[in-house]
This record gives sequence, structure tokens and C-alpha cells, in this order.
Amino acid sequence: MTETIADPVADADPVGNAADAVEKKLGVGFWAAVGWLGVLVVTVLLAPLLPFDDPRKVAANPARLGPSLDHWFGTDALGRDVFARTVYGARVSLVVGFIAIAFGMVVGGSLGLVAGYFRGRIDQLISFVFFTLLSFPSLILALLITTTFDRTLRTVSLTLGVLAVAPVGRLARATTLVFAEREFVAAARVVGAKHFRIITRELLPVVLIPMAALALLGMGVAIVAEGGLAFLQLSVEDISWGVIINDGRGIRDLQENPHVALMPISVMFLTILALNFAGDRVRDYFDVRETAF
Amino acid sequence: MLQFILRRVAQLVLVVFSVTFLTFASLNLVGDPLFNIVGVLSGIPDEQCEAVARGEIEDTQSSGLNMGDCALIAQAKEQNNLDKNVVERYGIWLTDMVSGDFGTSFVNGSEISDIVKDRLPVTVRLIVLAQVVALGIAIPWGVASAYRANRGFDKVSTVGSFGLLSIPNFALGVILLYFFTLRWQIFPSRYENQGWWSELKALTLPAFTLGLGLAATYQRLLRTDLITTLQDDFIHMARAKGMTDRHIMYRHALRPSLFSVVTVFGVNTGALIGGALVVEQIFSIPGVGTELVEAVLRNDPPVVVALISVVAVGFVLINFFVDLLYGYLDPRVRAT
Repeated sequence: MTETIADPVADADPVGNAADAVEKKLGVGFWAAVGWLGVLVVTVLLAPLLPFDDPRKVAANPARLGPSLDHWFGTDALGRDVFARTVYGARVSLVVGFIAIAFGMVVGGSLGLVAGYFRGRIDQLISFVFFTLLSFPSLILALLITTTFDRTLRTVSLTLGVLAVAPVGRLARATTLVFAEREFVAAARVVGAKHFRIITRELLPVVLIPMAALALLGMGVAIVAEGGLAFLQLSVEDISWGVIINDGRGIRDLQENPHVALMPISVMFLTILALNFAGDRVRDYFDVRETAF
Repeated sequence: MLQFILRRVAQLVLVVFSVTFLTFASLNLVGDPLFNIVGVLSGIPDEQCEAVARGEIEDTQSSGLNMGDCALIAQAKEQNNLDKNVVERYGIWLTDMVSGDFGTSFVNGSEISDIVKDRLPVTVRLIVLAQVVALGIAIPWGVASAYRANRGFDKVSTVGSFGLLSIPNFALGVILLYFFTLRWQIFPSRYENQGWWSELKALTLPAFTLGLGLAATYQRLLRTDLITTLQDDFIHMARAKGMTDRHIMYRHALRPSLFSVVTVFGVNTGALIGGALVVEQIFSIPGVGTELVEAVLRNDPPVVVALISVVAVGFVLINFFVDLLYGYLDPRVRAT
């Protein structure tokens, strides 16, 4: 129930297609989303090899140019190429999103599995930790950590990773609770499998499926959260989407060349949309709604 | 029910303690609060001041100290209880907080309780307005899309809500600011509070920025629940009695379908608090968020701790009451 923040599209298509989705397909939309993400990742990886302007060099071009063939997204108030900045910003945003959700999956997933499998006191303790983590408004917790420590890429990513622990962990716990009762687990136990083996070989694979859907959605959430931190000037001291949009949102910038903010916003929007859509399709495809509350 | 309430209260107390302690400890363990009061003087090693106190060396230029530096440091430590350990300081701080004394800012000496009194109402009004916007949009929208589920309007609105959920709130804020304030000049570009009308105008765009995404969340939940409710017998009964569709939707089906929305209401208020901080930046609204960012940037731990604690405790309390309300509405919840 409380998963709403972490996965905004949990209830997609509650009654509708369940009936007529006899033949399951991921659909064109899913592949379009994956395609967009693929293009983005490849561009980001190849960015140093492609003929982009230096995204950090001030006054490389005339300031506040409109979009043109030379500068697809125009230039900002300091004459930097907005397209190059958007591409380099994608690097930071995607890395932050990826590390954050990977951390959340590993830590939250393990804790959730352990809590759901062993139950009892361990479960109570772990559930309380999740509950406490969720009791913080997430951005406040992120703010707390980045002000206390520093604003390197590593800290920001891990901070957002900590935020992902509770939602991922709760999902893993809930799923484990369901499957730990099933026959295949009982069978493994009868055969004499150790706890560790049951958790990693029997439970992990089934728990991983709903988590994969949540991971796609969660990556979007982490990227947005990084942007939010950037707006509070508390994110990475480098170029990220949040930083670029924040740079271009001044009244004068918006009045004279809105594309400095609006172009990166569009790219970011498409990316989040792609992640949400892909996550939603994966969830539907594996039909894991029963376990996701 | 009583047992349920007691368990929730115990949980509440534990969570409030851990949340406030975490906040307090993190900002007091890392970094040097002493530095913020006495500046570079905090670099004077403790042993040196102890030696001064024992009369072994003198508090003069030749010992690397200026007259009275040690006294100054001692006074600052004394005033802010910095010579005690973190747990003790947390105890003192918490007792003060509970009695309404939030302490003073390290940097400009202003009373933190005044800052909270000044800033909190603005943020609360923004959040309430955002919830009003969200519910005001989501209820008719949810009803309209559930009324003819999976038909034209519903399909379009599914795409629409999916899109809305994918726009980061700061991006939406920038877009709204650009069109409504700069291009079309419908709303003022700066916050004004000369009477409720000017404030309402200033808060409208931020509230929509926060409320639209939330409206999409609510709409989807409401739609799901409504579709389930509409298959119940009492709806067929009402229909058989010849009631109008509008009457059935709003008077019969709506109320039992609001459970999910009520549940996420509390959680989303937390998300709104985070969102409000960011949106306040975009629209330059003098709320808790702007103050918090200023306090962080000017390195003012007491203010940061106080504001974060107020916000976090508020959030915990909201969730507590929503939980109780939900337990009251739906007995099944009490078991968990």
C-alpha cells in the first residue's frame, strides 16, 4: 500500500487488460522505451568520442543562441552548448540512478529476504528499520546525508540508495513471505537444504522478478530525486540534468531562451517515461501484482 | 481497537525518538559545531586551553592564543552544551524542543521558534492547497474514467496520468512558471502576502505543480477501487431503482471507494513535504524549504536540526493519524 511513492504506476490497468491479455506481449511501447534508453546509454558512453563541445567550457560559443544545426539545443547564458551539457548531464543522472537502485536492491533485497524467510525477531527488527526509514520524508533524509557528508557522486548515489532500501526491502519481504510458504521451499527444506541455499537458490529467483519491475521504476525515482537535490544545490558538484535545468530556470533565462531549461526537461521526461513504462510492462508481463501488495 | 491504538502509539514514540536522534546525531557528530560559533578559534587544541586553566601557560599572544580566547571558547561550549556528549546534548535539546524552546541560530542568533512560526504556516498552506488541488482534480477525473472504464475517455486519461506521473515536479514547476507567469503573465512572479487573495494567487502555481502529479496518483487508485465497487450488488440495486448515474457515482459508489486514497494520503503528504522544499525554491516562496536551504548553505546546524525535526515529526504524526483513521474505517488493518 505504501509503495505509491516508489512506484507511481503500481495499479496500472487493474481490471482492463487482465481479462483480454490471454496472449501476453511486452508490446511495441515497451520496445520503444527500451530503444530510447538504449540510444541514451550508447550516446552517453560514446560522448567523449563524439564531436560535442566541451560542456564545461565557458564562452565557447556566443551566449543565449537559439537552437540551430550547430547547436541543437542552443547555448546557455555562459555560451555552453546545451545539447552537450544534456548528454554529459545524462551521464551523472543515469549513473546516480543506477547505483542508487543497485544499492537498494542489494541491501534492501537481502534484508527483505532475510526478514521474510526467518520472521520472528529478525523480521520485527528489520521491519522497524524500514518503517523508520520510510518515516522520513525521503528528500529530507537525502538532504540530511548530503549536508552531513559531502556532495561527491558516490555520496549522492549511496544516499539515494539508502532511500531505496526500504521500499525495495518491503517488497522483497512481502514476496518472500508469500513464497516461503509454497511447496517448493518446503521440498527443499525436506531434502535438507541449508537456509542460505534455500534463500539464494529457491527464493531469490522468484523474488527477483517483482524487484526488477520496481528497479526500473525506482531508477526513475532516483533520477528525479537527484534533480530535486540539485534544485536545492545539494547534489553532485558536476553536470547533471537537475543542475542544467536549475541553471536555466532563472527568470531572465526563461524569458530570453527557455530552451536552456525546456530541452533538458524534455529529455528527462522521456527518460522517466521510458523507465516507468518499461517497469510497468515488466510487472504486467510477469503478472506479479499479487505480491506487490 | 484499543490494543491497535496502543501499539501504534508505542510505534510512534519509538519512531519519533529514532528520527529526531538520527537528525540530531548526524548533524552533531560530523563537522564541528564549535567552528560555527567561534570560527577559526575552534582550531585551538583542547590541551592548550586546559593548560591555561591549570595556570601552566598564559593566555597570551606568545602561547599562540589571544587574551581571553580560551574563555570565549569555554563560554561558547557552555552556552551550547558542547562539552557534554552527544546523548546528553540530545536529551537537553529534546527537552527544550518539547517545551517549545528550539534554541537560537549559531549564525545570526535569531530565535529558531520565531523562524518556525514565520515559515511553517506558509509551507503548511502550500501543502494543504496542493492536496485540495489534487483531490479536486482526482475525484471528478477518477469518477469520469471509471464510469466508462476502458472506453475512449478512460484510455486517454490513462495516457495522461502516466505522463503526469513521469514529469518531475521541479520540471513541471519550471514549465508552469514559464507559461503562466512569464508568457501569459496570469500569475505574479514573486510571493506576496498582502491579504489572503494575493497569497492565494502566489501559491496557486506551486500548488498545481505539486498537486497535478498527486492527482494522477489518486485518480488511478480511485479508478481501480471505483471499478470494483461498481460491480457490487448495491450499485445494481440503485440502478434498478432508477437513480441517475451521477447520483450513483457520487453518492453511492464514491465513499466506499476512497479507502486507497485515504491510505496513500499520509504517505503522499510526506512526498509533498519533500516536493514543497524544491517547489518553494522555484517560486521563491518563503517557507520551511527556502529557510532550510539557506540554513544549510550558511552552515547553521541548530536551525537545520530543528526544521528537519519539525518536518519529520509532523510527517510521522500525519501518518499516525491516517493509520488510526484507516484502522477505524477498515477493521482488517488492525490485525497487522
